[in-house]
Amino acid sequence: MISKKEKKKELIMQSALELFSLKGFYNTTIPDIAGSLKMSVGNMYNYFKSKDILAKEIIKYISIYLGSKLREINELDISTEEKTRKIIEIYFQTAMHKPEMIDYFLRIYLSTREVFKDGCEGMICVNEFVTEVMIYFEEGVKCGDLRDQDFFSAFGLFMGYLGGMVFLKGEDVLPKGLDDYIDDISYNVYKALSV
Amino acid sequence: MIELIEKIEGEAKLDFSFKDGKIDFVDIEFMTARNIEKILQGKTALDALVINPRVCGICGHAHLIATVQAIENCYENLEISKKAEIMRELTLNFELIQNHFKWFYLTMRPLLGKKQEILKATYPSQLMAKAIAVFGGQYPHTSYAIVGGVVSDLTEMDLIKVNHYIDETIKFFETNVVKADVEEFSACDKVDNILNTSGDLPDILREIKNKEYLQHGKSYDRFIAFGENSYFTKGKSLKTIVTQNISIDYVKEQENLNSLAKNVTYKYKYYEAGPLARAMINKIPLVKDAHRRYGDNIFSRIIARVCEIEQLLNHSKKLIQELDLSEPSYIEPAINIENLTAKGQSAVEAARGSLIHKIELEKGIIVNYEIITPTQWNLCNGTRENPGVSQKAMIGLQEVKTAELVFKTFDVCSVCTTH
Amino acid sequence: MKNKVRVLWLSSIACNGNTHSFLNYPYLEQFLNDFEFIHHPVIDSEYTLKDIVSTNIACDILIIEGSISDEIKRADVKVVDTIKRYSKIVKKIVTLGTCATFGGIFRESGYKDTTGLHFVKEEKIDKFKNLVDKTISLSGCPVHPEVLVNTLYAIKKSVDLQLDDFLRPKDYFAYTVHNGCTRNEYFEYKVDKHQFGELEGCMFYDHGCQAPFTHGSCNKILWNEVNSKTRAGLPCMGCTEPSFPKNNLYGTKKNMGIPQELPLGVGKRTYLTLAGITKAFKIDRLEKKLFDD
Repeated sequence: MISKKEKKKELIMQSALELFSLKGFYNTTIPDIAGSLKMSVGNMYNYFKSKDILAKEIIKYISIYLGSKLREINELDISTEEKTRKIIEIYFQTAMHKPEMIDYFLRIYLSTREVFKDGCEGMICVNEFVTEVMIYFEEGVKCGDLRDQDFFSAFGLFMGYLGGMVFLKGEDVLPKGLDDYIDDISYNVYKALSV
Repeated sequence: MIELIEKIEGEAKLDFSFKDGKIDFVDIEFMTARNIEKILQGKTALDALVINPRVCGICGHAHLIATVQAIENCYENLEISKKAEIMRELTLNFELIQNHFKWFYLTMRPLLGKKQEILKATYPSQLMAKAIAVFGGQYPHTSYAIVGGVVSDLTEMDLIKVNHYIDETIKFFETNVVKADVEEFSACDKVDNILNTSGDLPDILREIKNKEYLQHGKSYDRFIAFGENSYFTKGKSLKTIVTQNISIDYVKEQENLNSLAKNVTYKYKYYEAGPLARAMINKIPLVKDAHRRYGDNIFSRIIARVCEIEQLLNHSKKLIQELDLSEPSYIEPAINIENLTAKGQSAVEAARGSLIHKIELEKGIIVNYEIITPTQWNLCNGTRENPGVSQKAMIGLQEVKTAELVFKTFDVCSVCTTH
Repeated sequence: MKNKVRVLWLSSIACNGNTHSFLNYPYLEQFLNDFEFIHHPVIDSEYTLKDIVSTNIACDILIIEGSISDEIKRADVKVVDTIKRYSKIVKKIVTLGTCATFGGIFRESGYKDTTGLHFVKEEKIDKFKNLVDKTISLSGCPVHPEVLVNTLYAIKKSVDLQLDDFLRPKDYFAYTVHNGCTRNEYFEYKVDKHQFGELEGCMFYDHGCQAPFTHGSCNKILWNEVNSKTRAGLPCMGCTEPSFPKNNLYGTKKNMGIPQELPLGVGKRTYLTLAGITKAFKIDRLEKKLFDD
């Protein structure tokens, strides 16, 4: 059972995500977030002691969310090619239905390192997500589907591609919806990574 | 008359023919081969460093050193630090020493009517095994020598430890083997002086004289050694004339119809390998004196092997002083072994004599491997017209028992012979 | 005179590595007061191998060293027949070494059906099924002398030893070789750079060290009482395991940079999660040389 406090925390993070996405990270203050939830600022600090702490909790929250989705895929008894497609689907779906999440990951987590350097060293705060990507790669190589290579060369290809598409979508450059690209992108990614 | 010779790291069958009460021929048969060379085919080159020590439980380290040198010989200009070279030489010395103690106390003395004193064999050999373990992690069966050097690094404390093991072994030698200061012993160049001291070595040497065995075990008086290091030089000795310019290219292995051991020759001639050969080529005064008096017989073979214990202990102490701990233990080869297609060979002096390894790599994979062991030199199974070294040493004897003694002075190792 | 436990040491397809490893036991005098060999490959014994294979000689423990094949004879008698002869007499059988237990290196020697006594690699075989209850497996290439000697004493004292699935005493084989390695911190904190010839670093990441998933006590009881392979900087080759020898022993099999074989019983997700966390931190002490120049 998730405790009441945890539920409230999740609610705060969700609101914060939306505000960050709307106004930008630096332009959003704790009072803004409290206000959007009709909470007192004092009460807000019972949940998160500072904006930096909130920022770190949010990236963990996203990592856990995406990690659990990927884990479900990893645990399916399907081919690496099908897994590849499903991971791309889930990533794009998240980008469409919870655009603030991917937005936060791409625009805030990756480009505001000074906020995250203490407590989010390396990939600690995105551990759940990265672990599942590792498992997807490792199992793909082990069963002979994917070509063995350095983890980061594969990870960069995968995440860079997907992130780039979401970024383009966010910039309104894409003529079609993300959904429409799933077939081609899955094909490209699998082709690039497979033996 | 077929006799099963046991406790030679396995067994061998000697089939004696007698004429007029004397042995006129002995057929030597080794029964179990393990086909190590075939096992190696298709494996990655470095795996040979793990497989080959398992050729033999008593001289496996020599196989490791021969393997690493054969692989390194596949490279052009591979750099090895002096430190790594010394470390390898030291651990190989320690293996030779433990072997010689075991042979002397477990095999030789009992054959000359003495009780088998197991602890006298194991006490010093355990010390030497410990010294190897300080460098290589364990003994037997370490694989610590690797292409480019050795895997381990040393501190001054390690050297202090190893020096203690050596000193304790020297003390054991002085109080048991020959009751004399090792300095005195090493300076001694007269067998008679040794015969007049006490200790387990003089004890059995006198026994050989008393039993009138001095004519036993003579062979071709032809010796060979291919291994070279800071102590041993390569060369051959023909009736005491020593020449250094020998080449592995003239070493030939022949299938043997009656035995699983292959015969080996140098320019189609049989040669004796081992401590006596090394002492003749390196002109060790005491051994030369024994040889001058008694020839290439069992007396000389025994004294040569025991002398080598003292020589290698003292030499190892000097070598340790030469170690420069600031040098790297390992220098990564510039070429990845997976890209290496080449042939290599090596020769090292193992306890029983020259050990030769030859390797052929195709992109880092072993396509061919050949091992020629010291016992193959000494225990060739030749013909009546052209008997092998140990066969010739047994011909003319009257009793099977003394023939077994002569046979075992070569320090027979069945597992090596039939690798 | 007290009754000594009578032991037959029988070699099959072997290198005698276990014979010489046994001679490194530091308290041999005491051992030889309590045990006697009716036959041994190097220690003098009352009986010759010829005697052993041709008559039944009273014996309490049979030690088998080396891989087993129907084709192999010792003293003109098939080793399997000698095993059958003595297995009826003895109280316990000890398969000594990885060859005698799983087939080991000499399983590849090319003899017909070369196996261990009860296993060929991981697979159980039925050839000597009736002897399973009598057997204790001591794997290792070679076996540590203390492991052998103490097991023999346990048999003498009729200790009810707990055995694992391969009949190995848990006293020695419930541990991994990784336990007690002086390089453990480099593993725990994922400091993954290792170069041969150095005191620092862990061989698990790049150089094939199998210690975290190999059963054995190498780093618990140490070899020759002074060291171990991994402490010295040599990867564990997994020599106690049925899979010994694997291929490419100096390299770690990785898939996209992730080690294929993980510490015993540790799930991939657990390992990667922990690795991800520890890898994020730089631990200065472990990045530096132990001895600063």
